[in-house]
Amino acid sequence: MDGLITVEHLHKSYRISKRGKGIPGMLANLVAPKYEKKDAVKDISFQIAEGEMVGFIGPNGAGKSTTIKMLSGILYPDSGQILVDGKVPYRQRKQYVGNIGVVFGQKSQLQWDLPVIDSFELLKAIYRIPDQTYKRNLARFTEMLDMQEFLKQPVRQLSLGQRMRADIVAALLHDPKIVFFDEPTIGVDVVGKETIRTFIRELNAQDQITMLFTTHDMQDIEKTCKRLLIIDQGNKVYDGALSGIREMYGTTRTLDLELQTEVQVAPIPHVTISRPDDSNPRKWQLQFDHHAVSVQELMGFLLATYPVRDLNISEPEIESIIRNIYGGRQSE
Amino acid sequence: MNLKPYIAYARKSFLMRSAYRFDHIMQILSTCLQIFIYWEIYRSLYGSSIEVDGISFGMVTTNFVLSLGFSAGFYVNDFYLPQKIWDGSLVTELLRPISFRGRMLAENIGNGVFSMLFRFLPAFVIGVVLVGICPPESAAALGLFLVSAALGYGVLWTISFAVQMTAFWLVNIWSIVTIKNVCINILSGSMIPIWFMPEWLRNLIDFTPFSSIYFTPVQIYLGQLSGREIAGKCLLQVVWIVCMYGIGSVLWKRGQRKLVIHGG
Amino acid sequence: MQSDTIHLIGVYLKTTAKAWFQYRVDAIMRSLAVFLREATGVVVIYLTLMKFQDLNGWNVYEMLFLCSLLFLTYGILIIFFTGLRDFGNTVRKGEFDRYLLRPRGLLFQIIFVNADWFAAVGHGCLGISLFLVTAGKVGVVWNVGTVLYYLFAVLGGVLIQGAIFLLLAALNFYLLETDSLKELLYYDMKKFAAYPISIYSKVIQICMIYVIPFAFVNYFPAQFFLRKQDGAVYPFACLYLTPVVGGGVYLLAYLFWRYSIRYYKSSGN
Repeated sequence: MDGLITVEHLHKSYRISKRGKGIPGMLANLVAPKYEKKDAVKDISFQIAEGEMVGFIGPNGAGKSTTIKMLSGILYPDSGQILVDGKVPYRQRKQYVGNIGVVFGQKSQLQWDLPVIDSFELLKAIYRIPDQTYKRNLARFTEMLDMQEFLKQPVRQLSLGQRMRADIVAALLHDPKIVFFDEPTIGVDVVGKETIRTFIRELNAQDQITMLFTTHDMQDIEKTCKRLLIIDQGNKVYDGALSGIREMYGTTRTLDLELQTEVQVAPIPHVTISRPDDSNPRKWQLQFDHHAVSVQELMGFLLATYPVRDLNISEPEIESIIRNIYGGRQSE
Repeated sequence: MNLKPYIAYARKSFLMRSAYRFDHIMQILSTCLQIFIYWEIYRSLYGSSIEVDGISFGMVTTNFVLSLGFSAGFYVNDFYLPQKIWDGSLVTELLRPISFRGRMLAENIGNGVFSMLFRFLPAFVIGVVLVGICPPESAAALGLFLVSAALGYGVLWTISFAVQMTAFWLVNIWSIVTIKNVCINILSGSMIPIWFMPEWLRNLIDFTPFSSIYFTPVQIYLGQLSGREIAGKCLLQVVWIVCMYGIGSVLWKRGQRKLVIHGG
Repeated sequence: MQSDTIHLIGVYLKTTAKAWFQYRVDAIMRSLAVFLREATGVVVIYLTLMKFQDLNGWNVYEMLFLCSLLFLTYGILIIFFTGLRDFGNTVRKGEFDRYLLRPRGLLFQIIFVNADWFAAVGHGCLGISLFLVTAGKVGVVWNVGTVLYYLFAVLGGVLIQGAIFLLLAALNFYLLETDSLKELLYYDMKKFAAYPISIYSKVIQICMIYVIPFAFVNYFPAQFFLRKQDGAVYPFACLYLTPVVGGGVYLLAYLFWRYSIRYYKSSGN
């Protein structure tokens, strides 16, 4: 696969100051500070093809932001290669950044005291955006994100959701080929999040813009991305289709059973049986790995053996699967 | 009154200050340099004269070492309250079951002790080695000097306390704080000894709190004041502390009311 | 310079002005405060010389003429170098990330994104008024030569201080905190420079001429006009070298800056 973005064996470490506890620690630090090396990104490789939309997730401190900053040319990697659109981001900065857009959900690039439109005008001059392109993009994006009402308001008066929408538009005015989103929905309310997701999805579909997307909200990923990249402690843990992650890690099925009478459910091989609700002795919960136990056979057995009133099988939520992946690694 | 939380605040702010190690070394150097500059200037101004208006070169040097040293050691954060008003955290702070002003003072004491130990003391020692100062007039003078210096810090702090309260009404108090500091720098005698100021200015300064900050302790140290004068000047320091704290507290009460109306 | 670059500078200026004018009263107060703060040094010199008549042969007007150059150059400097003065803050707040993400030169952005007009007005006014009051009193003869000399000396003085700012800004890539270093290397040196270097001991004089060349900002240009025999020892050519020294140290600082950018550590979240 020939990627628009190619990352190979990326590594980056930081030196952090280590401080002792209490007043003795403070005095020791004043005299002889101690440092320790921390690997933010250990060894990460991946490729992203043109037009792809990739969700990039991991727990706090996993190295997501560091990776995004290296991809966008802000940080120099310690070792490894990055090639985006035929350019090395940190070496050919000026040529490179004209083709990308970056949204940092936690750091606005808008002028705090000025109306939104003033920041856009400034960006027009910075990116040398032709009049026509600017007008077209501005009209299109403000329409899509429903921004007319607050375009002339100072940024400091906007709600977080409004500000975030304006920030997203700010990163897109110059028609970037690639956009990096770092937590674009953080702190935004449910409706706002939905607006942003729809916008990102449409933009990817219509303009073939390549996108990499970090978030803590799994809903963001489920509703926008087909492909998922998971990193943890500086290493890549998973890279593949969103559906694939269920196949790999989410093989547990939960069967909720309600019987017509108070009958004891007898043990079944490879199935964990429990009572989810103490006050209702007719309710049972069965958990099993769907590779080890055939769903069809189990259901047939249950229906034939017990007076079943209701029965429901559920797959695990993607969120809990991811939590399990992190949890599993952390307890290693 | 339970003092525990206040001690915890003081301790915390003491520890927080240690984070910027490099900063402290630079500050100490900076203070020493300033002392050195004034020493050089006055060495040149004095030339071969032993005394000017009855003031010896040694006394001038002592004035600079002590007052510039104290201005490094007397910790005041003029933006403590304004910061909390701007970022909106004051409202939540007020809900805690402790006195905000008490906390403000506690954190200041923590910072102040740190500054005296790690800013004043090193600068003072280097200053003494580098340019030398007069010894204190007597052991009693030294003791009274320490008392008066503590009161001087009280004056400096309460002035800042009162000025900070204007943040309830103004968007930005940087200008007011700067003007306040201009007054302190010129009128406290830390940049030009009050002895050498023209008579009219000296008379004017008598009606301001500024000479109570550094100059009164310095005069006591040098034995320039009689027992009676010392009592008078120290009393004046106390009066200024009470005055400034009073003004600050009145503004504080009014400001809080304004905050409640606005905060909604 | 390309036309789109000039256009961008225009937009930057407009944006800065608009942002400042959001708070008009505050803007006036700030200029006044800066003016008063800077006047402190002048007041101290004035009061001191009222008592002592002269400092190492320099009378009050000559002293203030010496100071006027310091204020004037800073007033001009700060129009262009506010971004470098505040660069530590820019890095700490993570705003430098943004500069790196824009297809424009980094120094270009730092210089034009912001200008502290209050400091410029405050220092500029003080510098000009001191100059107007003292130039006549110290016996400067104005002709084409001296006017040209003066202009180049001011330019050189701006560049020398700009180089110090640039050097300090570049140090932000290595150190967590440079404010206190700036205090020491710039503001404290400037305090030294407010007085003739001849009053200082040899070590300081050498430092002011060869290490942090503040003497070229005001002492040597003032000496060019005043020719005071005050006992300071220096090569006579120094009187003419301010623009050369300015260009030289700025170039050095620029090379150091270019080299240091790779060590930038974006502040973590």
